[in-house]
Formats: sequence, C-alpha cells, structure tokens
Amino acid sequence: MDVLMLSAEQNTPFNYFPIALQLVIAVGFVVVMMLVSHLLGPKRKTEDKLINFESGIPSVGNARQPMGIKYFLVAILFVLFDVEVIFFYPYAVNFKYLGKEGFLEVVLFVAFFLCGFIYIVKRGALEWED
Amino acid sequence: MKAIIATTVFGVIMMFAGLWVNDKKSIAGLATFLFAALLGVTIWDLTTTSVNSPKSLFNDMLRSEHYSLWFNTIMTGCSLLYVLLMGKEVQKVGKYVSEYFALIFFILCGLYLLSMYNNLLMMFIGIEILSIPQYILAGSDKRNLKSSEASLKYFLMGAFSTGILLMGITLLYGAARTFNITEMVTLMHSDALNPLALAGILFIMIAFSFKVSAAPMHMWTPDVYDGSPTVFTAFMATVVKSAAFFAFLRLFQVSFNSLSEHWVMVLAIITAATLLVGNVTAVFQQSVKRMLAYSSIAQAGFMLFAVLAVNAVAWQGIIIYAVAYSVATIGIFAVLVKLKDYTYDGFNGLAQREPLLAFVTTIFLFSLAGIPLTGGFMAKYYVLLAVVQQGQLMWLVIFALLMAAISVYYYFRVIIAMYFKAGTPEISSPVTGGDKFMLVVTCALVILLGVLPQLFLTKV
Amino acid sequence: MILILLILIPFLTGIISFTTKGDGAKSLGLLSSMLTLAVAAYVSGANFAAPITFTKPWIPILGTQFSLMADGMSSMLCLLTGIVSLVVMIMNVNKPVERAGAFYGFLLLSQAGLMGVFLASDALLFYVFWELALIPVYFLCSQWGGEKRIPVTFKFFIYTFVGSLMMLAGLIYLSLQTPGVTSYSWNDIVRAGTSLPADQQMWLFWLIFIAFAIKMPVFPFHTWQPDTYEQSPTPVTIILSALMVKMGLFAVLRWLIPVLPAGVAYWSETVVILSVVGIVYASCIAIVQTDIKRLIAYSSIAHMGLMCAAAFTNSAVGMHGIMVQMFNHGINITGMWVIVSMIEQRYGTRDMTKLGGMASAAPAMAIALVIISLANIALPLTNGFVGEFMLFNGIFRADTAGHILIMVVAGLGIILGAVYTLNMIQRTAYGDAGSAVVVKDLSVNEYLGLAIIISLILFLGVYPKPLLDLTAGVAGMMVR
Repeated sequence: MDVLMLSAEQNTPFNYFPIALQLVIAVGFVVVMMLVSHLLGPKRKTEDKLINFESGIPSVGNARQPMGIKYFLVAILFVLFDVEVIFFYPYAVNFKYLGKEGFLEVVLFVAFFLCGFIYIVKRGALEWED
Repeated sequence: MKAIIATTVFGVIMMFAGLWVNDKKSIAGLATFLFAALLGVTIWDLTTTSVNSPKSLFNDMLRSEHYSLWFNTIMTGCSLLYVLLMGKEVQKVGKYVSEYFALIFFILCGLYLLSMYNNLLMMFIGIEILSIPQYILAGSDKRNLKSSEASLKYFLMGAFSTGILLMGITLLYGAARTFNITEMVTLMHSDALNPLALAGILFIMIAFSFKVSAAPMHMWTPDVYDGSPTVFTAFMATVVKSAAFFAFLRLFQVSFNSLSEHWVMVLAIITAATLLVGNVTAVFQQSVKRMLAYSSIAQAGFMLFAVLAVNAVAWQGIIIYAVAYSVATIGIFAVLVKLKDYTYDGFNGLAQREPLLAFVTTIFLFSLAGIPLTGGFMAKYYVLLAVVQQGQLMWLVIFALLMAAISVYYYFRVIIAMYFKAGTPEISSPVTGGDKFMLVVTCALVILLGVLPQLFLTKV
Repeated sequence: MILILLILIPFLTGIISFTTKGDGAKSLGLLSSMLTLAVAAYVSGANFAAPITFTKPWIPILGTQFSLMADGMSSMLCLLTGIVSLVVMIMNVNKPVERAGAFYGFLLLSQAGLMGVFLASDALLFYVFWELALIPVYFLCSQWGGEKRIPVTFKFFIYTFVGSLMMLAGLIYLSLQTPGVTSYSWNDIVRAGTSLPADQQMWLFWLIFIAFAIKMPVFPFHTWQPDTYEQSPTPVTIILSALMVKMGLFAVLRWLIPVLPAGVAYWSETVVILSVVGIVYASCIAIVQTDIKRLIAYSSIAHMGLMCAAAFTNSAVGMHGIMVQMFNHGINITGMWVIVSMIEQRYGTRDMTKLGGMASAAPAMAIALVIISLANIALPLTNGFVGEFMLFNGIFRADTAGHILIMVVAGLGIILGAVYTLNMIQRTAYGDAGSAVVVKDLSVNEYLGLAIIISLILFLGVYPKPLLDLTAGVAGMMVR
C-alpha cells in the first residue's frame, strides 16, 4: 500500500501506476476467462449449431439483397434537424448579449439548414411511397 | 477565408443544380466554371494577404499564412485540372453527377480549413469535412460490390482513426490547456516533458498516419483506392492526401517542433516502413490501378520526409511534392480511365494505337519515379534536401533512395508494356482532341515543374 | 555561348527527328552530328588559353545555375563524342532501321545528354544530364535491341539508377556544406568537400563513387555490362562503350578526386585492387568467349579497369595517360564494334566458331579489323600504345604500397588481351571459310567511317602531341 500512497503524493508518471494496474487486471481477467472457458468447456459441433441463428426459424435465402431504408433515412434526418434545435438553446440564453450580429449569424445558420431541407424534400428523401 | 465561403456556396449551388438541371453535360460545364471561379477566389485571397503578416481569423481559430494560401491556390488549381481532365468520366459514374461535384467542393472546404487551422478543433473539423464526402464518393458506384466495400471500409477505418485523433487532442489539451496550436508551443516548451503531451503527440501521429496511409496504418488504402470508381480514386489519392499531409506538417512543424527529439525516431520508423511496404508490395501487383494505390503509399513515405525534417525547406518540399505528385497521378488516372483493362497487359501496345497517350503516360511515370527534368524529381529532391539538412537521418535518406530505385521497377513495367510489347489495348471511351489537349497541358505542367520549380514555390 | 550549341544542336535536332518520316531522320542525324563535331573541334582548338564558360541563372533558390565549362578534358571528350557520333551516323547510312525518326531522335538526345555531362560545372546540372543521357539509351536498347533486350536493359537501367540516386544524396550533402547559401557550382562543391573532416569524406566517397563505379564499370559492379552490350543494337553499343563508360571515368576525375581528396586517399588502394582484379577477371573471361560481341565487352571492362586503377594512383603522368587513353579507347572500341556489326551483317552470326576466311573474301575489311585490333592491344605506333604506356608509367610511379605488384598484375591483362584479340583475328579473318558465304567487301560509307577511325589510330599513334597538349593542363591539376 505504501507504494500506492507514495505515488499519489507527487505529480509524476508514477501517478498512473494504479490505472495501469487496473488496466492489466481488467484485461487479464477477460483474457483469462476466455482462455479458461475455451480450454475447459466441452466442444460439440453439430450442424444445427453452426447455422445462422434466426429466431429458431430455418434461415431463408441470402442476406445480401436490397431492401428499403426509408425508415433509416427518416431517422437520420430527424437526428440532423433535432441537433439543429439543440443549437438554439445556447442562443436563446445569450439572445440579448449577442445582439444584431448574433441574430444574423443564426439566420445564416438556419438558412443553410433550410437549404438542406429544401434539398431533401426536392430529392424525394421523405416520400414514403415509390 | 473568401475561398472557404466560396467553396461552401458553390457546393450548395451544385447540389441544387442537380435538382433543376437534368443534363449531365451542362452540370459538368457548370462545375468546371465554378472550379475556375474558385481558383480565382483563392488567387484573390492570396494577393490580398501580405506575405509577412498572417491574418488571424475567427478569434484565431484560423490563421491565413502566406504559404497556406499558396497551398490552397495550387490545390484548387489541381482540382480544376482534375475536373477538366476527368469531368467527362465523372458523368459516367452514376446518376447524381451534380452531387459528386458538390462533394468535391466540400472536400476543398475541408482542405482550406486544414491548411489554415490554428486550433486543434478546426483541424478536427477540417479532417471530418475532408473525409466524410470521400466515404460517399468511394461508394458512389452503388451497383458495384467492391465500391460499397471500399466505402464501408474507408468509413470504419476513418471513424476509427478519428477516434484516435480525438483522444490525442484531448490528451494534448490536458497537457497544454489550450487548443490553440501556436500558444501550445510555449506551454509545452515550459513544461518539463509532460507524459500526457507525449501520448497526445503519439496518438495524433497515428491518426494522421491513417489519413495519409502510412504503414502500418495503410491497410485500408489498396482496397479503398482499388474499389472506388477510378475517377474518385484519382482525387482521393492526390489532392485529399496532400491536404492531410499539409495538416500533418503544420501541426508538427508549428507546435511540436521543439519536441522533435521525442517523436522523430517513431516517425522515421513509420516512414521507413511506409517506403518498404509501399514499394515492395507494388512490385507484385498485376493491376495498374492497384499498383498506383501502393505507389501512393510509397509516395506518402517520401512526403513524410517533409514532416520529419522540421525546418523551413520542409514547407517548400511539401508544396512542391503535393503539386508534382498530384498532377502526375491525376494525369495517369486520366489515361487509366480511358482503358478497359486495368492490368499491365491492358497497356500492351498502347504506343502503337495512341502514341500521344503513351507518351504523356511515360512522362507522368518518369515524374513519379523521380527522373530529372520532371516535377517528381524536384519534389523528391526538395524533401531529401530537407531531411539531409536536418542532419540526423542519413540512413533513412539512403534507404529511401534504394526504395526509389525499386519504384522504377513497377513504374517502368507500364512503359515496357506500352512501348515494347505487342497488343491492342481496348479503349473504353474515345480519346477526343480536347482530352489530348488537356493531357498535353498536364504533361507540360509536369515538365515545367521539373525545369523551373521556383514558379510553384513561394517564400516561406 | 558556343558551349550551349554543343548541347542544343543534338537536342533540337533530336526532337525534330521524332517528327520526321522515312529517311529524313538519317540525313538530319548526319547533318546534326557534323555540325556538332565542327563546334566541338572549334572548342577544343580554341581551348589552350583558359577554360570557356557559360553561365545563366537556373533555379536561384536552390543555388544551382546553368553553368557550363570546357577545359581540356571536357573539350577532348566533347570532341570524342562528336567523332563517335559522326562515325555512328555514317556507318548507319546504308542500314535500314525501323521507325527511323524515333531511333535517330533518341541517338541525338543521348548525345546531347553526354555533352551536358562533360560540360556541366554545376553539380545538379551534372546530375540532370547524367540521367538524361541514360533515358534515351534505355529506350534505344529496349526497342531496337536483341532478343532478351527488355530484362537486360531493365537491369542496366535499375543498376545505374540506384547509383545515380546515391550520388544525388552525396551531392545534396555536399551542397549543404558549402559556405553561406547552398551552392552547386563546381568550385563551391570542391571547397565544401575538401574542408570536410576525413571520416565524413570516407563515407561520402562511396555514396558518390558507386554511381561512377557502376557506369565504368569497376569489377563487382560490372554484371550489367556484357549483357547490355550484347543485346543492344550496334550504334547504341558504341554510344555505351565508347562514350557512356567515359562518363564514369570523367566523373571520377572531375567530381570525385578533387572534391574528396581525403576519402580518395583512404580508399584508393581498395579501388585500385578492385580494378586490377577486374582486369584479370575480365581478360580471363574474354579468352573463353566465342561470341565476338561479348569478347569485346569483356575486353572493354579490362581496359576501363586499367584506366580506373591509374586514376587512383595519384601521379601526374597517370592522369595525363587517362585523358589520352579515354580518347583513344573511345576511338578503338568504336572501330571494334563497327567491324563486329559488319561481320554480323554479312555472316549472320557473331559466333567465332562459325566464322572464318574473311581475309580472302573481304580483304579490306580484314585489314581494318587487324589494324583496329592491334590498336586495341596497344601495339606501338598505334594510338593505344601511347595511352597505355602512360598509364603503366603512372601506376609504376604511384606512392601506394605494392604498386609494382599491381603493375605486374595489370600488365598480365595486356598479355591476356593480346591472347584473346589475336585469337579472334585468327578465327575470323583466317582459317576455313566454312560454308561458302559470299561476302561483300566494304561499301562507300563503311570505307569512310573506317577511314576516319584508322587514320585517327595511326595519326595519334605516331604524333600524339595535339592530344597531349590539349589535356596537359587539366592532368596536372588532378594530383593531390
């Protein structure tokens, strides 16, 4: 314990010794556990165990095929515009302090987003039906 | 600063142009015009900034040094050259032609930020703006599985390296308590060897090695460059890579110069590994496109020389290397896209069928190999000069020269195929008079760079 | 101003030649080489007072200038280049060449590069020309050469390229040592080199010497040479063996011995031993060759070895001998190749076991062969004798230990040289004609080309004074 106490007193690389120790133990634990279970566990390879698991249903066809990503697209776009809104909070807090220049900057910011929005709509990213 | 605004606006214009204009040709024409206008803007930026007093912008987030603006101008010129040479091929990649050009404009925005950043945050944003459009461009050939693979691989690797970069920035902030790269110098100098700072430098070095595809962080390069549509590979391997190098050099030159004794050996070993891996693996390639990917790794090894040599010549070295390498590589890719078969055998007998194409390719390859009177020689010369001047890495210089000799092997294989082997190369798209004119202009540029390099250099 | 002409005439005519069709290139080449020879003759004739110089700024930020200088040695080699090029052009008049425009274009470009190498007095310019002379030769060999031309030429190119890159590193290092701003001018490089401490000179020596050693070639670096000579078309072989190997020797005399005196002093024994080993080794291999082209290639290694050994013995007469011998060897080897190409053209083979009876079938050709071969083994009253005598004299006077032994071993090379040369004459000119091949004697242009060579051989053998005078001043400067 003395060693660890000593290290805490000064600002040296040695300060990080506990962290390194923890890192070694953490990684070591994982490695040891995996190795041990790998070595000790019984191994039975059957055909059923090797196939892809699809909720108990026999797997059908190839996974590599095009599919609609409409929902994904909408979700991504939502995140983008949602983040935009977050930017308004700090602006609202400093509304008076930033003054006219700040207002113009925010207008510019919104205008760019509006451009993006128009682009999205025109490109048809939000159309649900093909 | 004007260029940053201009390129963003141009990018948005290109995006919207795609909505209302359906004709691919006029879109490409518009893009060419906008690139020319952008070149004008960068020149305007250059001429309105005095040589000796850099302008500080946005609360010192950016600093427009003369050499940064010069680099911007030259790289915009290379982009214009790229569009002029390959505009026709970009139209063939897919449906969204205007978006491709818009993305290239955004990449240039990232490039401008990277050449002028004075703050680690701006560097980070610059790298992201530079990288994200590339992920899209790499996957723009949607029907091609390899293109999708390239995109995904690039994205994952890029995201990974960005994480490492952020970690490095954080550690540096912990050590220096500032993001400002010029203020950082004094803080780190006064500190007695803070381990946080050293770890941060190492992390940033590794992240940049990812971006510039230096070994052993180069694994993504061949697959991405090979899988991406050839036109976009040409851009990624040249202008974008040069930008990453410039950012690399800027940070290590400005901030970490005084600490160079601590990191120079690590970087020297990375350089040696890059040269070895790039050159030796390139020898075994059968596809010229893949060979060029490895050769770009090999050339990155030489560009790392500029970062290694922390002195004034390094700036000139990186600028001339960037332009010489970019122009020659863009030229080769412009020839490559004309061919159907990308293997060496695809070049057999090109000299008989298209003598001009074969001739300009020879000059470009000479340049990449570093034969005198081409730009590549002056570029190699400058970076070697920088390192020799630095004084402690003579072993690396000699090693690099041996590797340069290996590079002759695979570059000359193309020449041998073109001139000394019989065959009838299949041309994928007819070579028009305009193409020939542009190729000759590019070729003339390569030679001009080699004969009068001072035209492309600025006082640093 | 006159010096730039020496480079510009072949360079511009070379470029023009690429655009010509048919036989236009031939006459253009002939005209160009005559003009160049005239200029070179003028330069070497007017050279007795002071070196001619020509300087224009080139890349000021690098401290390099486009500066040319012709002293005795340079102008002598330019003259040699002019003569050899003219002979090549003359001999080629009646030979059909595929894609003649490109062929003559490359020939003239390589000539321009060679002139540049001999004239440059700026290290970077020298390097540029050094490479520039190589590239046209690479294309010439790879396109018009023999069966195995592509890999063989490739080997040659890579070899020399490695060497020249090493030299570049050395030159950059030296230029950074120049006082004040970096400079590549010969004077500054010499100043920088001589002022370096001996241990630095020692490793810089190899960095720079390796390029020259590969070019000459000195013994362990020679493996590219016989293959390349064998596979190249004869005009290119002539350019290679008569002129390009002289580049190596010239570079040693101009860019090594004055620049790194301490390094040269330290390593000269090693180099001399290597050269002498090369002489004996190459001579022995030459004896067992049956292919005439390979035989001459090895004999050339032996001759260059002797010159290289003399270059590192640090004696005035030796240095003078090298200059004389560079010229003479250039003339003799050109003659040899010319004859070989005529034999090959007439008999369709170079294999000595299948040749014979030339003396009765084509007496003029046989006489020429005998004279040139005798000059090649340095019989008195031929030009070879003067040079080799001075070379041996120089080695004999050398201040290194064991120089007598070295001279004796090198002398062995002469005897072996006589063995294989006379053997070759016997097998080709005399003996049984074998299958009844009708052999045509010399045609007009061949008479002319051989006349130039043989008259030079005899003239310089009897009266070598002009050549000695031309190079006397420079030779004196080389000694430490």
